[in-house]
Amino acid sequence: MPQSASVTNAPFHGESPSSESAPEVCVKIANFNAWYDSFQAIHDLSLDILRNQVTAFIGPSGCGKSTLLRWVNRMNDIVPTAQCTGSLRINDVEVLSPSTDVVHLRRQVGMVFQKPNPFPKSIYENVAFAPRLHLKLRRGELDELVEWALRKAAVWDEVKDRLNAPAFGLSGGQQQRLCIARAIAIGPELLLMDEPCSALDPASTLAIEDLIYELREQYTIVMVTHNMQQASRCSDQTAFFFEGRLIESGATDDVFTKPQQKRTDDYVRGRFG
Amino acid sequence: MIAVLAMCAFATIAITLGIVVMLVTESWHFFNSQYVSVRDFLTGTQWTALQSKSIEDAKFGIWPLLSGTFRVTSIAMLIALPSGLITAIYLSEFASPKVRATLKPALEVIAGIPTVVLGYFAVLVISPSLQWLTNGGFDAFNATSAGIAVGILCLPMVCSLSEDALHAVPRSLREGAFGLGCTPLETATRVVVPAALSGIVSAFLLAFSRAIGETMVVALAAGTQATYTMDPRAQSQTMTGFIVEMIKSENEYGTVQYYSLYGVAVTLFVITFGMTLVGQLVRRRYRETYA
Amino acid sequence: MRDIESLEKLSIDPTEQVKTDDDMALPIPAAVKNGAAFSVESNRNSRRRVLVSKAFYYLCFGVSLISIVILVVLLASILVQGHTRLTPSLLTNAHSTSEPAESGMLPAILGSLAICAVCALSALPIGIGTAIFLEEFQPTTPWLRRLHGFLSLNIANLAGVPSIVYGLLGLSLFVFMFNAFGQIRVNETSGIELVGVERYYQVLTMAGGGNSALIRQTDPAQPTIVVTESIEAVDRQGEGFTLEVWDPKSGRAKPTDPEVLRRTVRKGQSGGAYAKTSWYYFRLPFGRSFLAAGLTLALVILPIVIIASQEALRSVPPSLREAAYGLGATKWQTVRSVSLPAAMPGIMTGAILAMGRAIGEAAPILVVLGATVAKNSGPQNLMDTVVTMPVLIFHWAGDPKVTYQQLAAAAIIVLLLVLLVMNALAIYLRHRFRTE
Repeated sequence: MPQSASVTNAPFHGESPSSESAPEVCVKIANFNAWYDSFQAIHDLSLDILRNQVTAFIGPSGCGKSTLLRWVNRMNDIVPTAQCTGSLRINDVEVLSPSTDVVHLRRQVGMVFQKPNPFPKSIYENVAFAPRLHLKLRRGELDELVEWALRKAAVWDEVKDRLNAPAFGLSGGQQQRLCIARAIAIGPELLLMDEPCSALDPASTLAIEDLIYELREQYTIVMVTHNMQQASRCSDQTAFFFEGRLIESGATDDVFTKPQQKRTDDYVRGRFG
Repeated sequence: MIAVLAMCAFATIAITLGIVVMLVTESWHFFNSQYVSVRDFLTGTQWTALQSKSIEDAKFGIWPLLSGTFRVTSIAMLIALPSGLITAIYLSEFASPKVRATLKPALEVIAGIPTVVLGYFAVLVISPSLQWLTNGGFDAFNATSAGIAVGILCLPMVCSLSEDALHAVPRSLREGAFGLGCTPLETATRVVVPAALSGIVSAFLLAFSRAIGETMVVALAAGTQATYTMDPRAQSQTMTGFIVEMIKSENEYGTVQYYSLYGVAVTLFVITFGMTLVGQLVRRRYRETYA
Repeated sequence: MRDIESLEKLSIDPTEQVKTDDDMALPIPAAVKNGAAFSVESNRNSRRRVLVSKAFYYLCFGVSLISIVILVVLLASILVQGHTRLTPSLLTNAHSTSEPAESGMLPAILGSLAICAVCALSALPIGIGTAIFLEEFQPTTPWLRRLHGFLSLNIANLAGVPSIVYGLLGLSLFVFMFNAFGQIRVNETSGIELVGVERYYQVLTMAGGGNSALIRQTDPAQPTIVVTESIEAVDRQGEGFTLEVWDPKSGRAKPTDPEVLRRTVRKGQSGGAYAKTSWYYFRLPFGRSFLAAGLTLALVILPIVIIASQEALRSVPPSLREAAYGLGATKWQTVRSVSLPAAMPGIMTGAILAMGRAIGEAAPILVVLGATVAKNSGPQNLMDTVVTMPVLIFHWAGDPKVTYQQLAAAAIIVLLLVLLVMNALAIYLRHRFRTE
């Protein structure tokens, strides 16, 4: 695969953000490389992620999609061997610079993980956790915020009578929606989801997918997934990664129905990965 | 073959039974004596088993020994619990592999130092330093220097048990906290430590029990006077210290004074066994949480 | 590609599908909007929190350093105190009250090694056996499971019993054996002697100069003998002869031949008890012997050995065992040829660490053997008493004489070196087993 072809697109590249009709770019990644020790996980990658859309990263395991996701909110800072070069701008603000306040950054970029990871606290405390750190709210305001986040994450009706019960008592799907509520309770711009349904049963998966699709009205969502059906069901944009390179990206329909690259075609047809 | 192995396993129960039988039968000689009443033993504030000339004057009230044990143990815990926990947090949350590679062996070496060596260290270094710092405010043998040495002894234990508990907290919880914009401190204190709390509590209980049962340090550094006081500068014979002192003395096997050591041993065993039991039960519960 | 229809046909848990479109339209509350545009500059809140976190990091680092500082101070102070006494005589002499400066720790080193050997020979088989029982034979019925839980809880509790309590148990169990065989008293009774001892009366012969004959003791209750007539005796080499009696009042001339003198005693000569023991001398109860001390220490380290071996066995991947079962191996064959060899490095490491603990233990030994350090040699037989390094250190450290204080420090250095060698051995063994 020639290097030049590694980025086939960025269809909205260069489009004016002020344009009313076209979606505006939220995250702009350019010439991005990432390493773990001496292993290069991502090669010279450029990609635009559009505001208020769901972008799915697909590709076989080890292709660098999670690595990229974890650089968007600098989660990889806690991995001592992880390094990167290039540019990653959110709302035209460079995120990768050393002076970035990652605590403040992560407040604005929420993250949802592979396995539901509620804290061993009550449901209420889980959602109130981040607002307590970042904001000074009165008790009433906090209650309102918690209710809003739980409603927004479509889990309010199931937990409203047991807000003080431990979060571990919820089902897997409910836990994952609780984690989404926890992430949005602090009002992020952007939601990163690292295979949010891989540990869930099909029914819970559908509920989360519906939720993701709904949430994009207020958030820009980036979702890593192994599951191509999931990408096709609930994403607007799809980016296909292979061996640390971006092979193809574009509107989900285009990538799945008329891929430009043979490898994309093979992958979405299930010939490998 | 399995029968042989099972017998090995049941030998451990036999040991527990042996301890109980030994303590009950031997302390019976003490509690059954006409010079001893269980009530005075449990409430008395004077202990003169070794000092009194005749059995008629001997006072057997456990409280001076308990207070001595309590003083030494509290000082030890004041040192070992915070520093052990903080070191454990440092090791599990912050330390780079390089620092770990120095710190862990150092702690293991401390854990492997025989207790008699720490007792000697208390007499040689800690006690003179305390006297120098306070212009002689401390007795040569005192609860504080013994307590500090016992604290040093418990530190690696608190640290490694707490670190185990912190390690058992899944990585995903830490990532969740970092993902919400927690600083490392907030991640550690608001998520990881609360999640590992039962393990940490159990570590504390086990260390506490270890400190109560520690013998050689107090035998060397805490003095031989059983004092009923809260003054950490005074001599303070502990329960274990008394047992050693009685063994060392020329008291004839079979006298009431001699058997009084079994009365003390029963008290010691009940306290430490109770704490260890609670500690182990708590530990099991937290292990199940993240199994 | 799209198969939403097929997925939608799945039975869906109604609780997972509660959703109202109204909720989706809720605007983001003003409280979290904060009116701020996206930025990566730190604000007041985040700057403060990051600073506090940094401070905490340095606190952690500082506190962690304490343990290293303590270790350095401890080793340095002991080295300073003891280095002048690190002489060859420390390693070759015995404790001496008359000449403190010439005191040494050879008997203590030998004693510690002897006790350690007893301890290893008894604690390791039982400990490893228990660990195999608990780890490899997992319970199948609820009743067995409860028993299993009880056994492991009991072992964990034993690990928390103060070592001095084990000392008291050893005193009752091994030294006195609950007085089931009578009490051992010097020159009165010696319990039930099973093997390895021949008891004699030692009588000075007329040859003088310490020449004596040994007469077999028949009545253990009789501590002395008075020789009045010829009697069968043996010499030091064990050669039998008839001991003649010379009565000065009989008027017979005093023999002059040295050979005869050696076989003759004055009439009325008395002799004291003398026990000729072989190394395998064995009696019940054990009395204050190194065997009793070693077994007591075995009790102390047994829980440690069990727990370490259990952990080692637990870390053997189940796939190895399954592979063995898959080849038709029986349970015991699997344990012997797969689990045990794979767990061996861990078990050995645990065992050596436990032995290190045993070598450093003083309290149980003090209780079992008493605080005496007057012993010129290592143990001569199984029932011999010994001095150990920690007890000697305790004795020296408790002595106000400066010389003994320095000797204690020097002895500590030797003890720490022994421990160091053992730990190095553990690391070496672990490494060797791993590379094989």
